Amino acid sequence: MIRQLRPSSVVIAAVTALATAGHVGNPAVPDESLPPPQQPPHEWHEFYFTRAAYSSGGGGWGRRGGSWAIDYPKADRQFVTVLKRLTNLDAFNGENAVLLTDPAIRRYPFLYALEVGYMSLSEEEVTGLRDYLKAGGFLVIDDFWGTREWAVFEWNMRRVFPEHPIIDLDLDHPVFNTFYEIDEILQVPAYRRHYWSGRTSERDGYVPYVKGIEDHDGRLMVIINWNTDLGDAWEWAEQPDYPLQYSTFAFQMGVNMIVYAMSH
Amino acid sequence: MNALFEFLFKYRPTLYQEGDFSFLSPWPVGTVALVAAALAVPAVLTYLRARGRSSAADRWVLGLLRGTALLVLFFIVMQPGLILTSVVPQRNFLAVLVDDSRSMTIDDRDGSSRADKATGLLDPEGDLIARLDEGFALRYFRFSSRPARVDGVNALRFGGSRTRIGDALAHAQDELQGVPLSGIVVVSDGGDNSDEAVGEVLLPLRAASVPVFAVGLGDEEMEADVQLSRADVPGRALAGTSMIVNVLVEATGYAGRAVPVVVEDMGTIVTTEEVTLPRDGQPLVAPVAITLEVPGARELTFRIAGQPDERVLENNELHAVMQVRDGTEKILYFEGEPRHEVAFMLRAVGDDESLQVVLLQRTAENKFFRRNLDDPLELVEGFPTTREDLYRYPALILGSVEASFFTHDQLDMIADFVSERGGTLLMLGGRRAFAEGGYQGTPLEDVLPVVLEETAGNTPTERLAFVKVAPTPAGTNHPATRIDGAAEESAARWDSLPPVSTTNVLTRLKPGATELLGGTVVQGGDGEGTDRVVMAFQRYGKGRSMVLAVQDTWLWQMDHTVPLEDQSHETFWRQLLRWLVADTPDPVEAAPASESVEAGEVVSLEATVLDEGFVEVNGARVTARVTTPTGEVEELPMEWSVTEDGRYTVPFTPDMEGIYEVSVDAGRDTVAFGTAETGLRVAPGTGEFRDPHQRRSLMERIAEETGGRYYTLETASRLPEDLRYTGGGITVTEERDLWDMPLLFLLLAGLLGAEWAYRRKRGLA
Repeated sequence: MIRQLRPSSVVIAAVTALATAGHVGNPAVPDESLPPPQQPPHEWHEFYFTRAAYSSGGGGWGRRGGSWAIDYPKADRQFVTVLKRLTNLDAFNGENAVLLTDPAIRRYPFLYALEVGYMSLSEEEVTGLRDYLKAGGFLVIDDFWGTREWAVFEWNMRRVFPEHPIIDLDLDHPVFNTFYEIDEILQVPAYRRHYWSGRTSERDGYVPYVKGIEDHDGRLMVIINWNTDLGDAWEWAEQPDYPLQYSTFAFQMGVNMIVYAMSH
Repeated sequence: MNALFEFLFKYRPTLYQEGDFSFLSPWPVGTVALVAAALAVPAVLTYLRARGRSSAADRWVLGLLRGTALLVLFFIVMQPGLILTSVVPQRNFLAVLVDDSRSMTIDDRDGSSRADKATGLLDPEGDLIARLDEGFALRYFRFSSRPARVDGVNALRFGGSRTRIGDALAHAQDELQGVPLSGIVVVSDGGDNSDEAVGEVLLPLRAASVPVFAVGLGDEEMEADVQLSRADVPGRALAGTSMIVNVLVEATGYAGRAVPVVVEDMGTIVTTEEVTLPRDGQPLVAPVAITLEVPGARELTFRIAGQPDERVLENNELHAVMQVRDGTEKILYFEGEPRHEVAFMLRAVGDDESLQVVLLQRTAENKFFRRNLDDPLELVEGFPTTREDLYRYPALILGSVEASFFTHDQLDMIADFVSERGGTLLMLGGRRAFAEGGYQGTPLEDVLPVVLEETAGNTPTERLAFVKVAPTPAGTNHPATRIDGAAEESAARWDSLPPVSTTNVLTRLKPGATELLGGTVVQGGDGEGTDRVVMAFQRYGKGRSMVLAVQDTWLWQMDHTVPLEDQSHETFWRQLLRWLVADTPDPVEAAPASESVEAGEVVSLEATVLDEGFVEVNGARVTARVTTPTGEVEELPMEWSVTEDGRYTVPFTPDMEGIYEVSVDAGRDTVAFGTAETGLRVAPGTGEFRDPHQRRSLMERIAEETGGRYYTLETASRLPEDLRYTGGGITVTEERDLWDMPLLFLLLAGLLGAEWAYRRKRGLA
């Protein structure tokens, strides 16, 4: 019998997972703005939560100036830990950051990138990302806000895919019901901003959107979470003062996107 | 040799074979022997007394010669003879069967056809018929597809499309039942191409003492000939499916010559494959890759152009009818966990409208994701628990799902799905598959084509091995693994693909299984260079099982070493999934008893009807809807055959040449079991020209097993006399003297002459 997990079970699993999450996986946190070329994983698993390391021209708030590394690696680790509790996915228990120009990226069909409002892709990175997506890769974009960051991101994506428009994904799109039934797109705030201001939005990004880019065959290659910050919810879900509804939504959305990517 | 025998022994060997030896003297042998012994005593005494100048050796030699001569004389006096049974002239019938099929028009090496030879031999004004006519009442029959009584050889047309010798013999025996039948003369090249075994009709002939005298016509060997003997064309295929058709090529006199095999679909060339003709007597199996796009009943023609000096060109081509379907085949793919393999495989076949992969993916404990459904309730309760629900799919793919997920009944049901329903099972590699998934000791262990062995490592990482995959010789020409047009190009494509990983240790095939893809470990596992089974299949009951033991074929699409435009991954999965459903039976199956007949020839349209649980249905309403080449439709109700459960037949006689489309619809009350499509080719057959040499062995066998004899055209003149003493019917016993055979007198003269010569030489005369 097919059973839909209730949101409360998500929270219980998440809290349990976060309480037991250890510092496992690849311990190497990049000291530079970009990580070293990917080494072969020391454990074999079906899934690696892989973060795209891209050039950002010194902008953003990432470690050593790289916007790709926002919330890294805590968000990645905590999300994977919860992901494994919620699904039976065989996932690598740690982070995995890979350069867009690294050929090894083609061994990880799922890719996560955030703070793309500060993205400044080199030509090599444009080529790497285009080939990755054309070969069958799946990219999730997160944590960028307002029209100015949208313009930066859109400019970069136009360089990657001038022929593919960015489209809105309605709530009847399969990505919203692949694992959880999601009937509303919540705006997930950054933890500190919400803590200090009580607001969920940043800059002029008042309304959250889930958009996408499809290839010529209608395959969804890119999911764009705009005016929302799923990664921050993953990173700070254990904080008692972080609203449950946002972390629950963030985990549900994250799980849905991964299961969707692995079944479509 | 026969003439010498006949000179010495007075009669031909046949009479000695048929007759019984006896002494015809009225005196008893014992009495004569006593008289002879009494006469011999004084002679011996005389020899003993009259020593003269002779030595003991002389007396022995002379005694031996004289004694032998006396024995011969004694033999002659006893009047040796043959007791023969001979037919009574003009009181018996003789059936003369003449092959009226097209193969009789083949010209022999001497320039004349077998038909000419037959009509010449049986010329009413000729010597043979005149002599036969003296002793028998002759009844003529011609035979090809059907036997028929005729007045004489003038009625022969040599246009029959088949040769049914057994049928003709049985018919002649039946028609002449009740009259004294001395025998049957068959004049033919022996090219029997009926489905019935000839041996079955020989026994009644032998029991009725009706010998068959076979006159074989035609060259016994062809010095220059190319023949397409067989093409293994499947009965049906999905439109757009790439198939490998094995074509059997035989040739005499053209070894090493490269020739193209041309394949046409309804007259349009679809492929050309070059083959090198084999040595004499060594058939060649040539794999030919074809793809048919147009749905419907299609006529395929395989052809090799005529070669220099080739006399028979009709056997250079073959025809076959194939049903190309444009429907959609459903495949159930049950995956035990989220895997990239799922997404990439579904994408690979996503634009193939002939395939519908229904995905049931376990994403969490007791939580399933379903995709590509026809009905929102389809698989809503997870993996099927009834045969009806599972059997609706012709093929089942099991991904990384452990055996303990299933109940024992479900495992039994999956095994039955293969063995009884005739479905295809594909088990994919994964951490929960094969021995690693606990399938040892389950019903599925028997089904799989590989031996499940204890695994070495505890974790998938410990067992992980990257293997370089290459097709085996069988895989080179298998439709599932031929990922490019020609075999060489396909092998090159495989060589260009990156290694993929496996956590399942499969190294041994079961007997009867076929390995299509092998893997050489390049990293990890039990050492570089070791071999793994990557892909294999076997037949199991009515169905087939296959394994694909790697877990990330998506690397053939995604890896950076694979060009973006490369279609290997898509081609591989599309062809593999099409192969999975290629031969799986439907609840309703239909086919003509013979896929190719001639206009006016009766053919039986046959159908098998099963219910949704694949159990035979006898009381169904089954209708065959026949569409002629001109588009006219005829509906024929089919009847249950009674002799076989679920089998329905109806006779049909096509009246024009072309391709007939047959659609069989079966149901009962308001339940529809299904519809099946098939095709029928109506055209002059070329089967008569297969193996165009004389089949002497068959003719000899027919003669020997019925007590008759085999003749060539040259020896056929002996027929009348052989018939007189070998034939059945009304017979009389006849005595033939042997005392006056030349051999005896020559022997007597020789012995006496030798005695005289010896005496002269020794001075004893």
